[in-house]
Amino acid sequence: MIDNFSLLLSHGLILVACWRLLSRPDLDDENPVDPRIAFFGRRPREREDA
Amino acid sequence: MRDLVFIAFLAVMFLLGSKRPFILILTYAYIDIVSPQRLTYYLLNSIPISLIAFVGAVGAWMVFDNKSDTRLSWRQGLLLLMLVYCGLTTIYADFPIDAARKWDWVWKALVFAIFLPLTLRTRLRIEALSLVMVLSASSIIINGGMKTALSGGGYGVLNLMGVENNSGLYEGSIISTVAICIIPMILFLAKHGTIFPPDWRVKAFAYALCLACLLIPVGTEARTGLICAAILGGLMFIHMKRKLLMGMLGALALVCALPFLPSSFTNRMDTISNYQGDESASTRLAVWMWTLDYVKTHPFGGGFDAYRGNSFHYQTVQRTVEPSGNIRIETINVVDKQRAYHSSYFEMLGEQGYAGFLLWLVINFGTMIQTERVRRRFRDTTDPAKAWIAPYALAMSQGHLIYMIGSFFVGIAFQPFVFMLIALQIGLATYARRLEADAGWQPILPTRPVAAAG
Repeated sequence: MIDNFSLLLSHGLILVACWRLLSRPDLDDENPVDPRIAFFGRRPREREDA
Repeated sequence: MRDLVFIAFLAVMFLLGSKRPFILILTYAYIDIVSPQRLTYYLLNSIPISLIAFVGAVGAWMVFDNKSDTRLSWRQGLLLLMLVYCGLTTIYADFPIDAARKWDWVWKALVFAIFLPLTLRTRLRIEALSLVMVLSASSIIINGGMKTALSGGGYGVLNLMGVENNSGLYEGSIISTVAICIIPMILFLAKHGTIFPPDWRVKAFAYALCLACLLIPVGTEARTGLICAAILGGLMFIHMKRKLLMGMLGALALVCALPFLPSSFTNRMDTISNYQGDESASTRLAVWMWTLDYVKTHPFGGGFDAYRGNSFHYQTVQRTVEPSGNIRIETINVVDKQRAYHSSYFEMLGEQGYAGFLLWLVINFGTMIQTERVRRRFRDTTDPAKAWIAPYALAMSQGHLIYMIGSFFVGIAFQPFVFMLIALQIGLATYARRLEADAGWQPILPTRPVAAAG
């Protein structure tokens, strides 16, 4: 009874945690940087707007 | 039935891993900690799930992961050196068959520890791995905590999930040390977590889990756990804001808890100071003295499980109170052989010699020092995106220190769990270095203010 409860609770929480990770783009990349920004410092279109 | 549930769980994890490959790494960490194959009776025993998860994790990293900002640390180099060194001592081991058996799991733990920091590129990954480690260990800790609360436990009696061979984290002293060492990490996740953002449910679970962690040394009656808990209390006290109030509350909680401790627990804890009458403590001292002599003639150690060559005799003092009220003190001669080290420090010294011992110390304490440096660099940050770094570094170094103190009394130098702790700290240090490098980064063409341009 206690064995099953602790297994269900811990494994259930691991699954919920991993499920939540699916909708988090920052798991793989925190600052998705546009290569143009990396080089020029801002997007070319921003420069046009300016 | 349990087999099917575990298979379903692992299938879902692998499925989620196909969407987000980092989840495969989490799956491997889970398998390493929980060892679901040990908890089942037939199906999972025959499938090499650990190997499948490892190949999946490394393969997914090689194929899909962004490696442009991957940084290496000198400690990964030391871990690699340790891997090669242990491989060599295994070849020349005193007991080649036993050494090969230990090498079989040690090399995996070391390779995973070298690989893991390469994948820990984002805050969320560091948090996710910490969370999965805590939740995986919680499957054993909740179990032991509840059984202790309901029945009181006992040394070598507490049945953790029906695993009989006392291996992995299911051994009393090892789970006691690990349970106490993850408390700072649990408290960190309850306060700074983003996967389970802090709310009343998260806090309630975290505090209940901390209580279960504290109950594990009571249930297993492992003296190591009590020492670890006392040191954790001291470490946390140093960093508390309202020291006087917290100190008084802590002392009050301890006084209130004492009557509820089973008498077998208090009797056993008495043997910490009265170790002469305790065979287990005397055996340890004898093994440690044997190891010091052994390493003098074998400076490169005897390879894994070299303790099998030991044999010694020592005397214990037994004190008995006779019905007449007289106290009889007897000296008993004990002859013993093939006794394990019961200490990671002596385990390293006996098995890997002076060089291996030194390497192991540098890896562990060097990692802690590095983590403390990260904490100091980020403790005064005003950037909310970086505010988690200093408390995380503190939780990790506290947990690691507790583990190293517990290691004085348990042979857990090569436990995969501590290598994951080390990998997390290496990941944190390289992540912090990248953040600092990014902060100092300037684009090649200077950015002009918009107003000025217009």
